Amino acid sequence: MPSPPEHLPGFNRQSLPVSNCLNISTMLRMMSCIIIPLLCISPIQGDEASLLMKKSSQQFVQEYCIDCHNSDTQEGHLDLETLPAQLASDSQSFRASWETWEHVLKRLETRQMPPPDANLPTESEYVTAIGDLQSTLDRTAEQADQPGAVPTFRRLTRTEYQNAIRDLLHLQIDASALLPKDEASFGFDNITVTQLTPTLLNRYVKSAEIISRLAVSASSTEVVSQTVRIPPDQTQAQHVQGLPLGTRGGLLIDQYFAVPGQYDISVRLMRDRNEEIEGMTGEHELRMLLNRKSLASFKIQRPKNPSQHLTADQHLKARIQIPAGQQKLGITFVAKSNSVIENRRQPLNVQFNHHRHRRQGPAVYSVSIVGPYAADAPTATASRRKIFSDRPMHQEQAVATATRILRRITRIAYRRPVTDEDLKVPLEFFQQAAGTNLVKRFEAGIQAALESILVNPNFLLRIQRQPTDITSGSVYPVDPFELASRLSFFLWSSLPDDELLSLAESKQLLNPAVLESQIQRLMQDDRSAALVTNFARQWLYLNNLKSVSPDARLFPDFDQNLRTAMRKETELFFQDILQNDLSITTLLKSDYTFLNERLARHYEIPHIQGSRFRKVALDPKHQRGGLLRHASLLTVTSYATRTSPVLRGNWVLKNILGTPPPPPPEDVPDLKDNTVDATLSVRERLNEHRANPACASCHNLMDPIGFSLEGYDAVGRFRPFQEGRQIDMSGGLPSGQICNSVADLEDGLLDRPEIFVAAFTEKLMTYALGRGTTFKDRSAVRQIVADASASDFQLSQIVLGIVNSKPFRMRTAE
Amino acid sequence: MITRKSLPRRTFLKGLGACVSMPLLDAMIPAMTAASETAASAEKLRRLGYVYMPMGCDMSRWAPDPDSQMLGDLPPILKPLESVQDSINILSGMELQKAYPGSHATSNSAFLSAARAKVTESNDYYLGITADQVAAKTLGQNTQLPSLELSMDLLSLAGQCDNGYACVYQNCLSWSSPTTPLPAEAHPALVFENLFGSGGTVAQRQAALKKRASLLDSVSEEMQRLKREIGPADRIRVSDYLDSIREVERRIQVAAMNATENPLPDLDRPTGVPDSYAEHAALMFDLQLLALQGDITRVISFQLARETSNRTYPEIGISDAHHPLTHHGNNPEKIAKMAKINQFHVSLFADFLKKLKATPEGNGNLLDHSLYLYGSGMGNPNLHDHTDLPIIVAGGAAGNIAGGRHIRFDKPTPLANLHLTLLQKAGLDLESFGDSNGTMDSLLNSV
Repeated sequence: MPSPPEHLPGFNRQSLPVSNCLNISTMLRMMSCIIIPLLCISPIQGDEASLLMKKSSQQFVQEYCIDCHNSDTQEGHLDLETLPAQLASDSQSFRASWETWEHVLKRLETRQMPPPDANLPTESEYVTAIGDLQSTLDRTAEQADQPGAVPTFRRLTRTEYQNAIRDLLHLQIDASALLPKDEASFGFDNITVTQLTPTLLNRYVKSAEIISRLAVSASSTEVVSQTVRIPPDQTQAQHVQGLPLGTRGGLLIDQYFAVPGQYDISVRLMRDRNEEIEGMTGEHELRMLLNRKSLASFKIQRPKNPSQHLTADQHLKARIQIPAGQQKLGITFVAKSNSVIENRRQPLNVQFNHHRHRRQGPAVYSVSIVGPYAADAPTATASRRKIFSDRPMHQEQAVATATRILRRITRIAYRRPVTDEDLKVPLEFFQQAAGTNLVKRFEAGIQAALESILVNPNFLLRIQRQPTDITSGSVYPVDPFELASRLSFFLWSSLPDDELLSLAESKQLLNPAVLESQIQRLMQDDRSAALVTNFARQWLYLNNLKSVSPDARLFPDFDQNLRTAMRKETELFFQDILQNDLSITTLLKSDYTFLNERLARHYEIPHIQGSRFRKVALDPKHQRGGLLRHASLLTVTSYATRTSPVLRGNWVLKNILGTPPPPPPEDVPDLKDNTVDATLSVRERLNEHRANPACASCHNLMDPIGFSLEGYDAVGRFRPFQEGRQIDMSGGLPSGQICNSVADLEDGLLDRPEIFVAAFTEKLMTYALGRGTTFKDRSAVRQIVADASASDFQLSQIVLGIVNSKPFRMRTAE
Repeated sequence: MITRKSLPRRTFLKGLGACVSMPLLDAMIPAMTAASETAASAEKLRRLGYVYMPMGCDMSRWAPDPDSQMLGDLPPILKPLESVQDSINILSGMELQKAYPGSHATSNSAFLSAARAKVTESNDYYLGITADQVAAKTLGQNTQLPSLELSMDLLSLAGQCDNGYACVYQNCLSWSSPTTPLPAEAHPALVFENLFGSGGTVAQRQAALKKRASLLDSVSEEMQRLKREIGPADRIRVSDYLDSIREVERRIQVAAMNATENPLPDLDRPTGVPDSYAEHAALMFDLQLLALQGDITRVISFQLARETSNRTYPEIGISDAHHPLTHHGNNPEKIAKMAKINQFHVSLFADFLKKLKATPEGNGNLLDHSLYLYGSGMGNPNLHDHTDLPIIVAGGAAGNIAGGRHIRFDKPTPLANLHLTLLQKAGLDLESFGDSNGTMDSLLNSV
């Protein structure tokens, strides 16, 4: 049994001193309410009786909770004094207090309550009381039978739309250039998606036109131009992954060309604030490559006089023949020697900061692609092969062929069997566009039909079709097609494929063995990368990296290359756990990570060379490994100029412990009375802040966690010292456990791994269901965690648990 | 009858970054000749715009002399407005009771709705219709777009919304009903496309619009079919969807009509998003000017940045993130930095007002025929306070409002009173709005 946590000086979580809680009147009241609930218990038979809390947990509450959470003091607005009496009387009122008891349970599980400076239960008392409370609450959930309901209509998110187009038409699009962004709730963007505003609808229509044209490679007289830009803070001195060795900087554009033909590629170079091209020393060579083959080469020289800077990159332009389909267009420089140019401020490892740290060679600012000129007849592309599986030989066959093609596409697009009525509209569009010559205008007809499918509500909306004879509020199992969609949108953020739909059609998907093998298949498929790029990016705030801009004076070597490398490390780490089906506790504690040269240099880990990421075994002295040591997470939970123990602590509470702090109280104190001295350190300022009881109740939970992470600066570098002083990393967990380093923090978080696993499961479940989880789902979560513990919390077991859970498989009728 | 005024033959809109200056409006203004032909109608035009500044402001550098009713020397934050001083009024003493308990989500949501946000993160969010959308229902009936919603943030960020509130409260300024937050567009190219379509000849554009109309017909048809499949409870939702479809259909009809009346020649459309915030914001303001000038819409809302924005402003030398600066703990250095951001936001608005003023229309200029409300849902952000809000009313409302004044309320006055007054000024027949308890006619009338 672990020894009781030490008292943590300065982190007195209670706003009231303990002695206040134990005055005579309280003691008297305590005594009375110990007696009342016990007396109130009358013999109740069967199910009703089983909902009652066991005596042991009641006594626990009396002994350790009521001192502060009684009707008088109601510490934290929680009054447990009246609750036990209620729950003793009947199960109805217990259900009414269900939410409160789940809340109490969470605080006990995380050992946040009772507070460290109060009279603490022994570990075995904790375990018994928690076990009892859990079983009572599980029975409550079982009897209440409320799997929750997702709304009848939910539109696809922007990410889902993009993936759906990829799977339906083998076409890679950038949906962010077509549709407005989605707003998040509960941390994910697939929840508040019930609206179809005119603006959005308008964009859907426009997108359908663009996508259909690209998919069939319709020849268009229209010349389209597109400009790709490199962020100004990207260093272009090193090799870029995917480009040939011996090159430096530039970029690789993965671009879909619907129509083969000639395209004008023109490049502009990065300029400084005087409008002069940067890094124009000596002679440089720029190359244009298509799929790694060099197509054009240009010399770049410093203009003779400054006024010529305006036109000095005008010759970087070529018209090249590009075949249809997905192509990799590379624009890069031939690498020169690595010698460093002498200037006043040397050496610094950034070369983009205009005057201070000049670039050592020219850099690409933008690439524009304009075309097609002299378009050729469409050739086979992945999209065209996917769509035109079949072609009519003569007029009479055309409608039948079109029907076959459209039936196949709509089945996937609508995620269900297709009726003749479903085909009516697409066929009308086909015939209207094809006109009289159905063979010659066959492709134009299909293009028009595709447009109508892509704006069809059956494609854009995920519709919960409930049995017609069901009454509102009753619970029913979702049908096999809905199950197929739930699976594919959960694991792929996309449409179900043919195999899943066929299994739904034959109802075999409802067979547990078939379902399990399908989950395995989906997780092993490349499309499950969505769990990384969609789920993990949102859960771990990785998308926020794009918006962070650390102060350039304090962190002069922060550049776009580092920003992307940070994100990549965390993504690869999560992907590794996914692919190898590791325990998700690996996320918190690991002896390996993924690095490339840029990030390794940031981490001061030697001997990692090149732009490629690789798995790296770590030594404790590297101070790296688990998620909490990833520069990505440490940076997005910092401010531009400094670390924030509050943001970091808050993040851990929300995402690792599953106990988000409540919103700031209504009576936020007037900080005028509490002007904090600006010369104090962050730690000292926060200590001042916590001296105020109104702030302390939450900051006592958040700040100590953040303090344990103070060994990493605002861009995630390890820093044992700051301004000559050793960094104080002493902090702790809400349980009162003291942590003096990030390693202590990780150990503390994994002392009871089921807490983190439950928090993770709730996040994944929120994402899977597209709704926030509530106390009613807690029992299901506990079941998933308990089942997964047998396999040391392998990720696949948690996914399986979610899929098999009541909230995923059942729905409350609306 | 639907009218639309000519736009110049050629406009220059480029989002190409630092190396391209913005000659857009200067180049365009001399070309404006068509307006005089519709002079009579121009003066009756009513336009309403709303600009949201996030996270309050340093009121000590904002508030004009409390004892003076005229704007004399402007305080530091308002200094950029000097040259348009005669066209603005500063209002002091406004409050948003419905934004309490103090939070970022409610600052944004109550600003235009004067309604209390239902505390929820789920789909059952509930607020109130916002002032701009009330206006759009009347002023927007005959324009191609009933209203335009703009913002500056392209990314959805995780963990930036207040606990317990769905992000729509914090990020969507405009709500067309208590349950319909409107997404705002931050991408200049998409805004441009919304305003002017995808270009081409008159015949091409009309053919494209016709095709689009028939696509929408099919959506409508399929939606009706869906309605038969589902239970009565969900039919309301489908009706909402059908309303949206009808609205897009209406927009297409107006656009089709405009295509014949007013052939829009080749416009240089914006390509990307400018790197610098200032240029991006200026471009978004330019697009507003074009939309108003072409009478494509008469109602606009624009969020300069979202609440809790951690944006830094290196272009004015502020490398600290905005949000933590607003929790300044009365540290003078931090307050000064925050005030600089406040002033910067005001200066962007001031530049816009100057351009409106320099754009002739009828016998006056665009600013004379518009009304803009600029402000924040917070007063002192350090306290998350929703009283004593920073508020500017700009424009002449076709001669109905005299400017250059400081209008101070000794007793905290609901911002809804101002919304109501502005809506009435714009010609709406309305008796109350949100938690309004009166109007400010006496104060806003011509002196």
